[in-house]
Amino acid sequence: MSSPLILLPGDEVPTDYLPSNGSAPLRLGPGLRLLSEAHPTPASTSKHVLTATQAGILSTDNKRNAISILSSSNRRYVPTPNDLVIAQVHHSSVDYFYCMITPQSPHAVLGQLSFEGATKKTRPMLQGGDLVYARVLSTGLGAGAEVEIACVNPATGKSEPGGLGPLKGGMVFDISTGFAARLIRASSAPSEQQEVAGLVVLDELGKKLEKVGGFEIAVGRNGKVWVDCSNSEDNAVRATVAIGRCLTAIDEHNLNPTDQRKLVTRILREMKIES
Amino acid sequence: MNKEAALSVAERDFILDALREDVRLDGRSADQLRPLTLSFGEEYGHVKVQLGKTSLIVRISAEVAKPHDDRPFDGIFSIAMELTAMGSPAWENGRQGDFETYVTNVLDRVIRHSNALDTESLCVLKGVSCWTIRADVHITGYDGNLIDASCIGVMAGLQHFRRPDAVVKEGQVIVYGIDEKVPVPLNITHKPLSVTFHTFDEGKLVILDATRKEEQASEADVVIGLNNAGDVCYLSKFSGSPVDAMVFVTKTTVALEKVKELNGIIDKALQADLAKRAKGGLAEQARAENDRLIG
Repeated sequence: MSSPLILLPGDEVPTDYLPSNGSAPLRLGPGLRLLSEAHPTPASTSKHVLTATQAGILSTDNKRNAISILSSSNRRYVPTPNDLVIAQVHHSSVDYFYCMITPQSPHAVLGQLSFEGATKKTRPMLQGGDLVYARVLSTGLGAGAEVEIACVNPATGKSEPGGLGPLKGGMVFDISTGFAARLIRASSAPSEQQEVAGLVVLDELGKKLEKVGGFEIAVGRNGKVWVDCSNSEDNAVRATVAIGRCLTAIDEHNLNPTDQRKLVTRILREMKIES
Repeated sequence: MNKEAALSVAERDFILDALREDVRLDGRSADQLRPLTLSFGEEYGHVKVQLGKTSLIVRISAEVAKPHDDRPFDGIFSIAMELTAMGSPAWENGRQGDFETYVTNVLDRVIRHSNALDTESLCVLKGVSCWTIRADVHITGYDGNLIDASCIGVMAGLQHFRRPDAVVKEGQVIVYGIDEKVPVPLNITHKPLSVTFHTFDEGKLVILDATRKEEQASEADVVIGLNNAGDVCYLSKFSGSPVDAMVFVTKTTVALEKVKELNGIIDKALQADLAKRAKGGLAEQARAENDRLIG
């Protein structure tokens, strides 16, 4: 695997780009679909092909045996299982909270007990307008299917990965879904993969804001970032706005790492945050 | 649905907290506009407006029609605006919401009722034919402050538009094509623009040119329409919580400053476009002198 491969919707993923870890099942990320081959050739061993449904760069993760498409800056979000999203509670019933992942789309359901350590008595009492950081469990099939999200891994009963659950305080900024995916990748992946994402903004902000109390961040694949700087006391509001401005500006102008560093320095100076 | 999705509690609280510290989400000050860019299309009266992330296209068109019976000396001017799904997923095609009615009404009052376009100059032959000028506003992106952006678009469009020349010969109306005779600009009497303010925290905090999120978190809005000379031609506070009368007084001064600034940007863009058209345009072709060197 040498250069990054760019796929267009309908393009097949070449077999030599698939992760070589043979034993574990292959995980498909967003933007890819498994289709049966229309005209099976005798030469091909399997009857299925992987096809891209979005345009973007193919990215493979050998360790997790996963493959996904890094899409560019689009705004529309289509829920895919295992995505982390920031959802807004709309209303609740006896069993479920009805949440909004994207505005103007049918509500996703979040079980009242789908929180870490939640029982009938200890479950969080969420009101309309509250935010939760959750994982997409299933998206269902066919028309009228409900998207189900959860703040807990149903198998282990823990909130995996950490940090899932209600989000208190802070501020939400809107970004493109492609940028959200890159942010997640940049913060979770080892250094070799950060090159694909090309994002240094979070590291840079982390370094600069460490002295004023640091910040908490949650990135939702649905194009939302939640930022909270409540540790920064007097600087809390300005630091939050500064982070939000950095992220939206980088998303909008597609800045490279050098420009990202410059932007962070400039915006922090503008917002009068000493670092 | 035809309704903007509600803001989360966190966002609403944060916007208010930030404004109390005089901080806005995009780093602007309370009385600062977002960057405005105007671009013009190939044809006269085709304007694209970009105000921050709010963008819209205005088309001005003209046709000859019969004037209204009660006003035989007047031409007809109308502003048409429709909020379609192209602008925001919250809007539905073909269904008129309160917001649409409100914005159309304000545009009508600020531009049409203040007589920005002299309709008498549109008369061709008394009671028989006149020009009908129509401004179509298409929203292509919505991030708050639709009223001001549309006002800018319509006013810039009216100043940019050139209608075909028409003459009356022996009781017959003859309309010359754009390429036959140099088209005529519209008669603009004054240049009114609206400036929208939003209030927060029981009317104590007032900001202008709010984004969509700020609009949703606000308590009330105040629209002031005025021209370069400072003549107030429109003032409204339709809904929301009460606003102190002093806000109107102090903010009118701010609005005047902003209107002058905006009109300056519009003039500059118009002149740049005119200069571009002058090269290789009809005026150049119709020039009597030639490029030959004499002597």
